[in-house]
Amino acid sequence: MSVLLLRLAGSLQSWGSAARFARRTTESAPTKSGVIGLLAAAQGRDRGDDLTDLAALRFGVRVDQPGTRIRDYQTAHHGDTDKSMPVSERFYLSDAVFVAAVEGDGVLIDELYRALRAPAYLPYLGRRSCPPSKPVELTVHMDVGLEGALAGERWHAAEWYQRRLRREKTVALEVIVESRSGGDDPGDTLRDQPLSFDPRHRRYGLRTVRSTSVRVPNPLARTVAARRTPPPDHNPATVLKGV
Amino acid sequence: MSRTILDVHVLQTVPPSNLNRDDTGSPKSAVYGGVRRARVSSQAWKRATRRAFEDLLDPAELGVRTKRGAEILATRISELEPSIEAPEALALAAETLQAATGSTIAVPKRKADAAKKKGENEPPPESSYLMFLSSRQFDGLARLAVEGAADIKAFLKVKSNKDWARRIADTRHSVDIALFGRMVADSTDINVDAATQVAHAISVHEVENESDYYTAVDDHNSDAEPGAGMIGTVEFNSATLYRYAALDVDLLRRNLGEGLREDEPLTEPVRRAVWAFVYGFVASLPTGKINTFGNHTLPDVVVVKLRTTRPISFAAAFEEPVAKDITGGYLRTACERLAAYVPDIERAYGVDDTTTWLLRVGAGTEKLSGLGTEVTLPELVDAVGAAVAGRLEPGK
Repeated sequence: MSVLLLRLAGSLQSWGSAARFARRTTESAPTKSGVIGLLAAAQGRDRGDDLTDLAALRFGVRVDQPGTRIRDYQTAHHGDTDKSMPVSERFYLSDAVFVAAVEGDGVLIDELYRALRAPAYLPYLGRRSCPPSKPVELTVHMDVGLEGALAGERWHAAEWYQRRLRREKTVALEVIVESRSGGDDPGDTLRDQPLSFDPRHRRYGLRTVRSTSVRVPNPLARTVAARRTPPPDHNPATVLKGV
Repeated sequence: MSRTILDVHVLQTVPPSNLNRDDTGSPKSAVYGGVRRARVSSQAWKRATRRAFEDLLDPAELGVRTKRGAEILATRISELEPSIEAPEALALAAETLQAATGSTIAVPKRKADAAKKKGENEPPPESSYLMFLSSRQFDGLARLAVEGAADIKAFLKVKSNKDWARRIADTRHSVDIALFGRMVADSTDINVDAATQVAHAISVHEVENESDYYTAVDDHNSDAEPGAGMIGTVEFNSATLYRYAALDVDLLRRNLGEGLREDEPLTEPVRRAVWAFVYGFVASLPTGKINTFGNHTLPDVVVVKLRTTRPISFAAAFEEPVAKDITGGYLRTACERLAAYVPDIERAYGVDDTTTWLLRVGAGTEKLSGLGTEVTLPELVDAVGAAVAGRLEPGK
């Protein structure tokens, strides 16, 4: 099993999971369908092509910089008559940075890494108008699992954001990983498991995800001794383990 | 496989303006690098670019968006084969268009009833959705219809003929469709994947929207009723914008097909489209509130890169907002940032086989001068078009 790490950073991104018609919302973190779509496009697969191998990859994402949600109001005009068409609302995540990971067969992971370096279709972060502002591919890990790779990767937040948190030597980042199939792991469900990107019948299945957090060092932390010991980590859910 | 990707980067300063506003009338914005930036949405600039095509390209290179495709096709059929009479041509056209696009082509019931009541002839059939077809697609379909004119229904039942009809509707798109994509609402088979990707333009610096309070005097005011005829506010900002678009030239070529005329090279359609896109994207401006602010500006800097592996946006160069320089503007610092960032990121990711053109205006942009071949806009579009055509030449 190998793990491919991706950096999803851009001035705007948008990851919809239940968005239809005139109101296009975004989740607060990249969806599996969105990232698998990015990988499939990099490989040059067409929308109707089979994607079982990609959909079977285990997916996880780390929130390095949560960003802000912004709303875009979009008008459209008729091509001939210039009459106004229905307005639509589009939501974007502005200023966000994520590290996403997919885990699976080593050969496929290597192929995907190569595809990202010379993508067949232009890459974008959830919506065409959101190009990545930095190259997407990071590294391939062969020895650590999905969780390990996400925990070990350096913090990719922007410098201004790291500086803002300079009082903290390490920062806690939210990690959302897909539960191993088969296990009846309790967790949230998301409808972003891609089944088909065929525009005639796009289909998504349910996926179980678990949210945890990892601590990563802050490279811009003030080296001078911190004021006092930070408050203890408060996570009431730990008590519920095994319930 | 050799790849051809074109990146267009623009720095453009706009004085007080409201190019693109939201539903409350404020100029659109985004947060980047932790501060508020001016934003002009991608669709606003795509529309402006498309508008510019009307002056740059021949109408035959552009698409027609209409429900009345059958009538247009019927005219071409009659032109091609004058022995086919008008009603027959219309029937041929309707059948062919239906087979090619998968859309139902029928006489709208309301119009048919109205005509019957008045005792007029049946009106021509229409599609229920607006179709976007190019002149070259109409020509292809007309030839096909003439070929099967003897018994069009049987002709189109033959799988190879039907596939051929579909292929005509799915290749040789007009320049605007090939660049920006198309939707045919009830036939997803012939959607076109846009060859361009236009990012939202954002300011390289922090922006606060300002608001202008105005009064307007009624010229026919009497002394009995002095004061303003109306009052109001209009919001605006001024910004130095970073604009970015990527163009997948290989996809563009697949969308457009190859040139058919014997006196021109096969790559001519692509060259024309690239020429028009770079020109249109660089020189156009969304028209929002332009009569209020008169903010007609042209870019101060245009960097075009011809790449072989992947597109690279330089937005991250401006993630840390640019501060005003000693002269009070943002352009000089923005150019310094770009001049440092571009070689840096290209070295880090090992992309060095690119061709770069640079168009720059004024002393503030001098820092960029080492970045590429310096050109004027006419030279730029000609050089880019020629370079792209050269790369796509068969055998390369």
